[in-house]
Amino acid sequence: MSKMPLPLTPPVFHILLALADEERHGYGIMQDVARQTNDALQLGPGTLYGCLKRMLAAGLVEESDERPDPALDDERRRYYRMTALGQRTVRAEARRLAGAVSAAKARRLLDHPRPGLAGGRA
Amino acid sequence: MPDASAVRWLCRVYSVLLYAYPRAFRLQYGGEMTQVFRDRCGYAARRQGRPRLFRFALHTAADWLSTIFQERIAALRELIVADYGRKAARLAHAVWSAGRRPQPRGFVAEWVMTIVIFLFATTTLVQAYVIPTPSMEGSLLVGDHMLVDRVAYANPGSLGSRLLPYRDVQRGDLVAFLYPEDIRQTYVKRVVGIPGDRIRLMDKQVIRNGRRLTEPYTQHIRADADAYRDNFPTRPGFFTTPRGRAMFEQCVRNGQVTVPPGALFVMGDNRDNSSDSRYWGFVPRDYVVGKPLLVYWSYDASTADLEAWSVAHVLDVGRHFFTKTRWERTFLVPRSQNAQEGGVAQ
Repeated sequence: MSKMPLPLTPPVFHILLALADEERHGYGIMQDVARQTNDALQLGPGTLYGCLKRMLAAGLVEESDERPDPALDDERRRYYRMTALGQRTVRAEARRLAGAVSAAKARRLLDHPRPGLAGGRA
Repeated sequence: MPDASAVRWLCRVYSVLLYAYPRAFRLQYGGEMTQVFRDRCGYAARRQGRPRLFRFALHTAADWLSTIFQERIAALRELIVADYGRKAARLAHAVWSAGRRPQPRGFVAEWVMTIVIFLFATTTLVQAYVIPTPSMEGSLLVGDHMLVDRVAYANPGSLGSRLLPYRDVQRGDLVAFLYPEDIRQTYVKRVVGIPGDRIRLMDKQVIRNGRRLTEPYTQHIRADADAYRDNFPTRPGFFTTPRGRAMFEQCVRNGQVTVPPGALFVMGDNRDNSSDSRYWGFVPRDYVVGKPLLVYWSYDASTADLEAWSVAHVLDVGRHFFTKTRWERTFLVPRSQNAQEGGVAQ
């Protein structure tokens, strides 16, 4: 099985985030990713299932046999859950991103308002 | 919900678009993808309004375009990687025998593509015909299956003529055309006269614009004389059709026929056994279908077998394919040939 290299692509990372706390079906993942990113990342069905296919092959996620929400459920719907490997991978990626974020902060790219400029303008 | 029918329509379109993905991917995820699409569309229609619904549809179309390529490349890579492990020979074999591999989709898809290309090609570029009669014997035999280039003599001004090699019909050219007496049939003859030419025959020899022609492509199989056939034009005869009679009335002066504008005078190379312009008049320029391009298969069969489909003929082909195929004629290219103009005839 092919391994998934770091850094993860944004769709893969956000799909893992969506599956971090619970199992979801495809539409659930799509909704959650939109929520996480304030609609900045909208996964189309092709991107979503293309990523899921590769993540299944890499062992980051697996299909779940359980039906967490039978009331709202449809027999054909498949649920996905994160594997241990998926968890390690998303943690590593989150750490990498956190490092990137702190580097950006150190270069004053993230502080709001940027103190130097704001003071100068006032 | 007012937009329910729009959602249904979008879902139907999307489920058709899914066929662009590789088969394995579609079978694995197509159902779920449709479901996700339906859910999302329904949500947009209920909560977000029509503009957001169509924005999502557009977004999905873009997503579809980029991911079909992604998935197709991935599928190709899987194929290549899988085969690379088992030596390149297997890949070469896979490529060569792609049509014969027992994969229903590959098989069906290839045939669909073949048929689509074939239909496109046969309706616009080339068309296949068979020669059922010996009227062109010497150049084309009964049982010659050939392709006709439909573009070469396209009507001046048509789009094809501006994009592709094109020249107008000239004397000596072989042309395929709709038989003016029955346009369901296509004939192949040689152009003897173009508009303005004055034609007559004297003892089987063509005299064009007063000059004797030496035609290397003709054959004469009968010793007997037939005034109508060999000394055309005399007067309308038993075999002259109404169109032929009209030609006699309108275009024959002083013992020769003058080809009017927009028409061609054609004759078979097998001069003594050919139903041609002598009997049924001119071929309108618009009836010209094209230029014989290539004999792709020549099979020794009778006129009756070639004019109508029969079980006997199919069986005959099955049994005698190798012996009755005229291999030396396969991929023969029929050529235009110019007659040499000789001295002035009195």
